[in-house]
Parts: sequence; structure tokens; C-alpha cells
Amino acid sequence: MKITQILLRLRYSSLGRLVLALLGTVVAICVVLLVSAQSDTYIANAGAMTIAILGLSLLTGWSGQVSIGNSGFMAVGAFTTGIWANHHQSSPIIISLLLSILTGAIAGLLVGIPATRLKGPYLAGMTLAFVTAMVPFIQSLGKLTGGSGGLFFANLSSPSWFANLSGDPQNFIVANYRWAATVSVVITGVACYFMSNLFASRAGRAMRLVRDNDVAAELMGVNLGRVRVGAFVISAAYAGLAGSLVALLSGVARADNFGLALSIEILSLLVLGGIGTLSGALMAGLLAAYASTLIAKLNALFGLNPYSNLGSNSQGIIFGLLLVVTMLTAPQGMAGLLKKISHLRARKEAE
Amino acid sequence: MGAFFTSRIVSDILIGAAQGVLVGLIALSLVLIWQSTHVLNFAQGAMAMFAAFCGMTMLEHGLNYWVCVLISLVAAMLLGGVTERVLVRPLYGKAEINSIVVMVGFLGILESGASSIWSGMARQLTSPLSQTYFTLGSKTLYLSPFSLFQIGSALTLMLGVAALFRFTKIGLQLRASALAPEVSRLLGVRVNRMLTLGWIISSAVGAFAAIIIATSGSGLFPSNMDGFFVFGFIAAAIGGLESPGGAILAGLLIGIIQTFVADYLSPSWVAFTPVLILVLSQLVRPAGIFTKNTTRRL
Repeated sequence: MKITQILLRLRYSSLGRLVLALLGTVVAICVVLLVSAQSDTYIANAGAMTIAILGLSLLTGWSGQVSIGNSGFMAVGAFTTGIWANHHQSSPIIISLLLSILTGAIAGLLVGIPATRLKGPYLAGMTLAFVTAMVPFIQSLGKLTGGSGGLFFANLSSPSWFANLSGDPQNFIVANYRWAATVSVVITGVACYFMSNLFASRAGRAMRLVRDNDVAAELMGVNLGRVRVGAFVISAAYAGLAGSLVALLSGVARADNFGLALSIEILSLLVLGGIGTLSGALMAGLLAAYASTLIAKLNALFGLNPYSNLGSNSQGIIFGLLLVVTMLTAPQGMAGLLKKISHLRARKEAE
Repeated sequence: MGAFFTSRIVSDILIGAAQGVLVGLIALSLVLIWQSTHVLNFAQGAMAMFAAFCGMTMLEHGLNYWVCVLISLVAAMLLGGVTERVLVRPLYGKAEINSIVVMVGFLGILESGASSIWSGMARQLTSPLSQTYFTLGSKTLYLSPFSLFQIGSALTLMLGVAALFRFTKIGLQLRASALAPEVSRLLGVRVNRMLTLGWIISSAVGAFAAIIIATSGSGLFPSNMDGFFVFGFIAAAIGGLESPGGAILAGLLIGIIQTFVADYLSPSWVAFTPVLILVLSQLVRPAGIFTKNTTRRL
């Protein structure tokens, strides 16, 4: 109890946040090296989803704007990575990632400048229009993006030093899984560190003020347009990074995979985890990675054939139900529930 | 005369108008709900699709087309009423994001639910009226018996809704409870009942559009309203979400402009055209083209 309290207190200083992020990343890497290769693929995907959720969390929880278009920005990141990887086979992955962040941010700026003049449902509808237009648009650029069949490229493969380090240098398949998960965990750690600093910064406070009372924010000298567009661009950049990571993990970018369904999934996970919190995004990312296995177990429990109509769509139904029920009963999500429980426990101890 | 009616421009306008009235119907359905409850119904397209499935799958059991339409409309009214009572009522007075999230979740449930009940494959609905275009001499006039019915029935429905709101007692009560719920309650209007009724009407209008879209286009499948919903939303937003007339007009324009873009530029630009129109119109008048300016007080 004491140690967790000390660790939690660390987040109030910038050095403390760095220590926490490093500690978390190191622990996660240790887990990656210890668990099975199957679990490593889950962890790798959890990292990518966490980053996407974190971006939306900033936009929705901190600047108060709802977007259903973040999967469109993920598509931008994924195709940037794919096109770059096919033209420059030997370039290090960090360049792919940085390029995807950049193109995601540029796309975010292009959409964000008109979109952030809109509010509430107008903005959500505009981003919905963006994502539904994006899929056919990408597919129509057949030469560049491989059309509806998708774009194939080399996925992450482990360098030899890492294969040696991870134990069995002969078994390259396992080493590749471990390497992919390690890369994903490190990137997620960096993304969380940046986001935690942003939450605590002047810009983060300005965003919260704009969300809660835009008139008051304007009177305090906050430039409303700049803050709204800024949040939108950062959110799109995170989505671009997440898309790039998804593409690198699978070695394929297909426009269909980044449609409205993914946006709804990200939004559901965000609400489930807890809007505007780091811990919520991390929990939601893990949930996303394990969702398909959990659903398969549920299907088996109820004796559903996974290829039947109901079995193959149960994930969509369950996610939708969870989203609606969470929003109506516990809008703070899992992070909010945990907070409530710890408050209750603290009160009991005080009595 | 014949050369004029079969010219490229008139053909595009005819095809576009047939699309545009459908966009206008969806926009109208969104505006009806927004006016009374200030909820943007993101599940509107999915609700219409679901209701259309409920009735139109009866075609396979040998039922008459028009009977199936009737069943769909009844299903749509039920769905609209139940949705308002169960899902939307707890959201009144809450933050905007809550209603957006809940309706998006409902959209997911309906689309996955429809795929699991009726499978994701497209069903062709046999049209009760011919869909082959008329000919004038040797040239095609881009009108068919079905597209005439499509335009005519959509316009009739729009006029019917307008007449209901303007000339009937229920219409007056509906308008009153949207404008000033508290005052209406004091004057004896059952506001909650009126809100439910608004959802029922809107849901039926949407379902009618969905049936026509499924019959004239690519068949009925769970996501077949996604694209049209976006166009309908854009039309409603251009009109300012408050103005039914503006929404219908904007829907017609979007349909016609899209056909021109597809014909003269490239079909791959069609999806982005409404987004561009929305951006431009919002830059000119953020509150919508057909609304009055409002002032904000501190």
C-alpha cells in the first residue's frame, strides 16, 4: 500500500513522471520477455490501441471535442508507413514512425481547421463524414495504396542482437514476436510520457478550461481556435502513430480495416476505460487486445458457432451494449470506478 | 423539346433529384429529432435500416411489396418510440458528448444485430414498379416509373409532415414542446408524450427513405444507410439543424451536385463533395444557411 502511494505521488513532478514511465516500460519489457509468443502479439496490439485511445482521450476528455474520425487518421499513418517501407526497404523503423506522426498531424490540421469551428454534434458528424469518405478515397488511389486488396510490405523483424539477447537465437519466429512487442511497449511508454506531461502543462490546463467554459477561457486570454485545433492535431498525430504501429505489426495496410467500425471500437474502449485518464487508456488497450479471445471464450460458453451470423457479430453487439450501458450508468468508466473504490477504502481506513 | 429533356444537363438534374429527395428525407428526419430533443441521432440510418429489414424480408415469404412497406413503417415507429423512452430519455439535460456516445453505441448494436439476424449479404428487393428509363425517340429520358414514384412520394411525405406541424393541433403541441417545454407543460401539453411522438414520426420518415434506397440501389444490407446518413447529416447541418425546409433543399442540392461531379469530374470525388460543401458552408455561416443569427449572453 505504501509503495503504490509513493509511486502514484511521483506523477505530480515532471522528473517523477519520467521515472514512472521508465519504470513502467522496463517492467513491461520484462513481461514481454517472460510470457509466451502468443501473449506477445496481444501486448504488441495493446500498445497500438492504447496510443489510439490516448489520442482520442486527449481530444474528448481534455478539450471536450468528440471525434468519430480517428480511424481515418490511423489509415493515413498506416499507409504512410506502408508506402515508405516499400520504397526504402532498409530505412530504420523510427523514420517510418516519425513520418506517420507527421502525416497524421498534417491530415489532422487539414481536417481540424474547418472542423474545430464546429461544436458538439456538428463536429462529430463532420469527422464521421471524413472517415466514410476516407475509405473509398484511399481505395481509389489504387497505384499508391494497392486499392481494395491492400498494401503489403515487410513487417517488423528482430535484429540479430535482440534474437541473441532474448534467449534462443535459433528460433527467429519467437524472437520476431518478442521484438515487435518490445518496440510497441517502448513506443507506448514514450507516448504515455508525452501525454502525461501535456496533461500537467499550461496547454493541458487551457484545454480543460476551453472544455468547461469557453467564454471564461477567452476572457483569460486563451486563444480558443488555437487550443481546439492544437488538441485535434495532437490527437490525429497519435492516431497516425497508432496506425503506423498497427501496419508494422501486421505487414499490411487495408483501407477497410480503418473504417467507421474501428472508430466506434476506439470510442467504446475509451468510454469503458475512462475518458481523459492515462490509466483508463492503458486498461482499454489491454482489453482491446484480449477482446477477440474473450469473445471467442464467450461464444464457446454459449455454444455459438464462431462462423455463424450471430457468432461472428457478437463482438460488435457486446461492444455497443457496453458503450451504451457504461455511458448511462457509469460515465467515468473503469478508471472512475477504481478511483471510487480507493476513495471508499481510504474513508473506511480513516474511520 | 425532346433534345432538351434528354440533354446531359437535364439528365444529371433528373438523376440527382431522385437521389436528392432521399437525402432530403433523411435530413428532415434528423431535423425533426434535433428540434424537439437536441439529440443528433447518429443511429438514425441504422434504425431505418433495421426497420426496413423487419418488413422487407417478408417479401421472401411471398407478401405483397406494399404490405411489407407498411410492416416496416410500423416497426420503425415502434423502434423510434422505444428508443426515445429507454435510451434517450435518461440523456436529457446531460452533456452533449453523452448523447453522441450512446447513439454511436446504438448504431453499432443495430448494425451488428442486423448482420447476426439477417446476415451481412445484400438482398435485392424486387421493385413493384419498372426501373427502366423512358425513351424519347431514340434517346433516354432519365426518369422511370419508380423514380417518378420516388420523387413524388418523398415530396408528398415532406408536405405531409409540414402540414402536420402547421395545421393540426398535435403539430402545434409538438412545436410548443420543442420551443418551451416548461410553459407547454403548464398549459397542459404532455411534453414527454410529444417528444416520443417526434421520434416516432422521424423514425418512420427515415425508414421510408431506407426502403426506397434499398429498392432502387444496391439492395438491403446492414451498412447500406451509412453513406446516405452522412449525406443527410451534411444536408441538415448546412440547413442549420433547425430548419426542415432548409434541410430538404440542401439535400436536393447535394444530390444534384454529386451527380454533376460524378458525370463531369470523376466518380471517385463523389464521397468527398458533400464534406467540401459542408466545410464551405460552415466557413460562410457557421450556424447554418437558413437560420437566424442568435446572440450569446455572458
